[in-house]
Amino acid sequence: MTRLAFRSLASRPLRTTLTVLAILLGVAMITGTYVLTDQIDNGFANIFETSYKGTAVQVEPKSSFSSMEGDAPQTLSDDLVAKALAVPGVDKAAGVYETAGAAIVDGKPVETGGAPTLLTTDTGKPFNQSVLVAGDEIQGRNQVAIIKSFADKTGLKPGDTFTIAGPAGLEEVKVAGVFEWGESGSLGGTVVIAGRLQDVQRWGGEPGRISGISISADPGVTPKELAADVKAALPTGLSVKTGEQAAADATAETADAIGSFLTPVLLAFAGVSVFVGAFIIFNAFSITVAQRRREFAMLRALGASRRQVLTSVVVEALTLGVLASAIGIGAGLGVAKGINLLFKALGADIPTAGIALEPRTVVIAVIVGVGVTLLSALTPALRATRVPPVAALQEGATLPPTRFARFGTITALAVTALGAGSLAFGIFSDGGTNGRLLFMGLGALMLFVAIAMLAKFIVRPASRVIGWPMEKMAPISGRLARDNAGRNPSRTAATAAALMIGLAMVVFVAVFAQAMKGSFSDAISKSTRADLVAQDQSAFLTVPQATVRSLEKVPGVESAAGVAFAAVKVKGGGILTANAVDPTVWAKVWGHDWRRGGSDDLFAKLDADSVILEDGSSIAAKVKAGDTIAVTSQSGRKAKLTVLGFYRDQMAYSGMMVSLDTLKKLDVPTAAGMMLVRTDGSEGTQAAVQRALAQFPTQKVQTKTEYLDAINQQVDQILMMFYGLLAMSVVISIFGIVNTLVLSVHERTREIGMLRAIGATRRQLGQMIRYESVITAVIGGVLGTLVGIAMGYVIVTQLGGDDLMFSLPWLQLVVFLVLAVVVGVVAAVLPARRAANTRILEAIQYE
Amino acid sequence: MKSTAVQERDHTSASETLDRLERQFTPEADFTPNGNPVVQARGITRTYGKGDAAVPALAGVDIDITEGRLTAIMGPSGSGKSTLMHILAGLDQPTAGNVWIDGTEITHLKEKRLTQLRRDKIGFIFQSFNLLATLTADENIVLPLSLARRKADEAWRRSVIEAVGLQNRLTHRPAELSGGQQQRVAVARALITRPAVLFADEPTGNLDSRTGGEVLDLLRRSVDEFGQTIIMVTHDAGAASIADRVVFLKDGRVELDEDRMTRDHIYDTIKNLEVAR
Repeated sequence: MTRLAFRSLASRPLRTTLTVLAILLGVAMITGTYVLTDQIDNGFANIFETSYKGTAVQVEPKSSFSSMEGDAPQTLSDDLVAKALAVPGVDKAAGVYETAGAAIVDGKPVETGGAPTLLTTDTGKPFNQSVLVAGDEIQGRNQVAIIKSFADKTGLKPGDTFTIAGPAGLEEVKVAGVFEWGESGSLGGTVVIAGRLQDVQRWGGEPGRISGISISADPGVTPKELAADVKAALPTGLSVKTGEQAAADATAETADAIGSFLTPVLLAFAGVSVFVGAFIIFNAFSITVAQRRREFAMLRALGASRRQVLTSVVVEALTLGVLASAIGIGAGLGVAKGINLLFKALGADIPTAGIALEPRTVVIAVIVGVGVTLLSALTPALRATRVPPVAALQEGATLPPTRFARFGTITALAVTALGAGSLAFGIFSDGGTNGRLLFMGLGALMLFVAIAMLAKFIVRPASRVIGWPMEKMAPISGRLARDNAGRNPSRTAATAAALMIGLAMVVFVAVFAQAMKGSFSDAISKSTRADLVAQDQSAFLTVPQATVRSLEKVPGVESAAGVAFAAVKVKGGGILTANAVDPTVWAKVWGHDWRRGGSDDLFAKLDADSVILEDGSSIAAKVKAGDTIAVTSQSGRKAKLTVLGFYRDQMAYSGMMVSLDTLKKLDVPTAAGMMLVRTDGSEGTQAAVQRALAQFPTQKVQTKTEYLDAINQQVDQILMMFYGLLAMSVVISIFGIVNTLVLSVHERTREIGMLRAIGATRRQLGQMIRYESVITAVIGGVLGTLVGIAMGYVIVTQLGGDDLMFSLPWLQLVVFLVLAVVVGVVAAVLPARRAANTRILEAIQYE
Repeated sequence: MKSTAVQERDHTSASETLDRLERQFTPEADFTPNGNPVVQARGITRTYGKGDAAVPALAGVDIDITEGRLTAIMGPSGSGKSTLMHILAGLDQPTAGNVWIDGTEITHLKEKRLTQLRRDKIGFIFQSFNLLATLTADENIVLPLSLARRKADEAWRRSVIEAVGLQNRLTHRPAELSGGQQQRVAVARALITRPAVLFADEPTGNLDSRTGGEVLDLLRRSVDEFGQTIIMVTHDAGAASIADRVVFLKDGRVELDEDRMTRDHIYDTIKNLEVAR
């Protein structure tokens, strides 16, 4: 029976190849996800190991908490360096100051594509582990060493000058040397510019402050002992670690950040691909089992048991699964590279290192590949066992249904109900985000299966509608294609369902992005009273509030307000963003959507000890005006703030509004991350404001419209990345259509031969298959579009509350439908050629 | 799905039908072929395989098929009768020799021209009906015209449908028709284009003798009433007895070529040929 399974695989090389491909691609995506994230982990581990190589002990300020919102950097006094140096056993101690900045070469800020530009301190040996590849060590004031990738990109050489834009403004610097970093020589797209401590402190506007101290040990002193001694000698509240520990912690933190975001997102997309693959396996096995009906009957007549028939099909599936997993793991290495390239193309250059095929990756890939193949082939295999021996003597190729077939519709409805229930539970329950997402995902999965099961009922009417224009164009090919598509509705439905899933995801993402964009535009348009928005959109450099206020002197400017962003921990409310503004000007540039009786007048009362809460925030539900909330800043300062009122805004300023004085009190920098400028509408004001910010060339002054366009572009970029990742599942569904068509063409060989004999041209036969393919693809496309819209509608209206507005991206929907037609045409190329090449004589000779 | 009801009817009437047909078309019947060859073949050989393994299926066949006659090709299995038909119909290429259909030499035609030829000049009836399951009887009948994107000549369509007696079955699908009815649809489908020559490959092979008789009657009538040229491959002496001419093949050669043979004469001839083996 096992040999029979292998024979069966070998005798249908095309089907075998296509089914292997269907499952292989999903496995490759899973492998690729793990390989890539492992490579990224390795990349960062590499970087951190290198940077702490010469460091025995690292001293850093302790952050009271960390948030996703870009932690405000903490600093220490540089007096501590001398104190550390005085500790017995310390050989050298170097203060390090680091800050984000930008490089301006030839008058233009250097684009890094999202990667940071790091201004850091050259700490000298043994701490600095970089390798000088050109030029010399830094000698004097405002001399810098630059990383090689940056030098290559800009053409800067030792002796050249360029401008650094730091938090404190602009400084002209001279390139002393060019270095490479550690083994990989680069840090992804990160630009690193190193200078003397006092220079970097000045660039950052924080003379006398340091971000940390690197310490080396005297011979014979272990890092561990030294760390204990240093900790004892320095004030409390500092983080003191061995260099090794610091490297490990930094690596783990990065890995964690990737693991909690990138890995699940990529795995979700891989999951979609695997799911689509499962449909194709199911369909391929259903069709071949049906075609081999007589063979199974003959085996049964010769005395084969049901179990033996089952074994032969299962072994076939097992072989396919193993084959697909093995090749998929290999292909996964390529997929990892592909996803990385996709990221790079979209401006996210992440450092990676080595080829990281962990045993864990292989195990998961094999389990998924083999498991999914076996599960998908199980129902067809069971149906094979139900072929009665007498079927060997009968014509026709219909399979006996399984015992549960008569419950088919009921099962489908039950799955629908279960899926809808799970989806609803995920949306409405109060559980953790991950649990809710899991329920929503499961619900969506079940709904997909249910729709695939029920779709057979609409195949015939749908073929008639979709086939109508084809029948107009080519009456007979169109007619036959429509009939053929409707001939085995379950088969067509399952084939279309594979495309439906991928397209539903694509449409869902598009609908969601449309809601995001529309709602954001709407919120900004409704609320803003400003005409210009200024922000550094890549490095997020800030501008001192005094500079912001001075913009009001620019002709044409009526008011200017800067917003400083800080993460605060609210007792009983988690970590929220505090949007800090000057309350005297804020209402001139922004009108909040007031709730619970609030009004612009509240800003007159906003002082260092009060707060206005966003109504949708977790804390807002627990308090009322007049109550007090307790907040802690990242520097560890605490404050009690009286709640003045509430506004609604989950798009632009979620969390809370506070005054700049509150941030000062909390020991958080108050520089503006964003500026809103109201003008009198006179021409040239935009250019004048940009000129007034000449010291901050990375700040881009945009009109409201330009700003919104830029935001939309960012959303579109993410959208493109998602489309890229979903493309795989669409490709897999193409293989599914090819497979079904090839098997159907094989099944109809005699009929095709007859058509040729009575005068059908090859072109007509090709057309017939192509139309059938397009009908199948369009059924999948329309279903997918409808399901995607429905999912988008539910998620947008239920999860987004009144902040997200549902609207349809019509143009994109049209594009997707055209895509479905293209998918149909592409999928038909090979089967159509096969049909056209049918040899009449062989086809009509009786089997 | 075949309708068993039709098959179960009494079989005695079958031989009566054949007898009647035979009586009707005895040599004495009034018949004047006009003598133009529609299909001509010269020096046809067909060898399968190469070198030592070469098996000759046809070893030099010359044949002229005259217009408006029903020619039966007979012979024991392996005699090459099917191969000859395939080559005459342009479905297979001879190893050597030439075939003309309605004046066109077909053995070197390009694929496109061959398709064209099949559309315009050739009709087919297969043993296993080969109707399209998804089309109605009527749609199946006009299928060759639809494929050629031509409109049916209404009068001709009516007379063909009337001749095959399917007026009341036109909207039925093949699954709703008996085997005999399906084959009559296939005959109508072959007649609808008024082909220069109609090839019938064991047209009664899948039918019981009564319904087979009806189909033969139909073929005979299309020759007599419409002047249709038919070449029929068969191993059934009864079927061959309605032919104007019977060609016997043996070992790839024409063994006997005679006009108007009775069933018994055909039986004897077959027996002799097989004994002589």
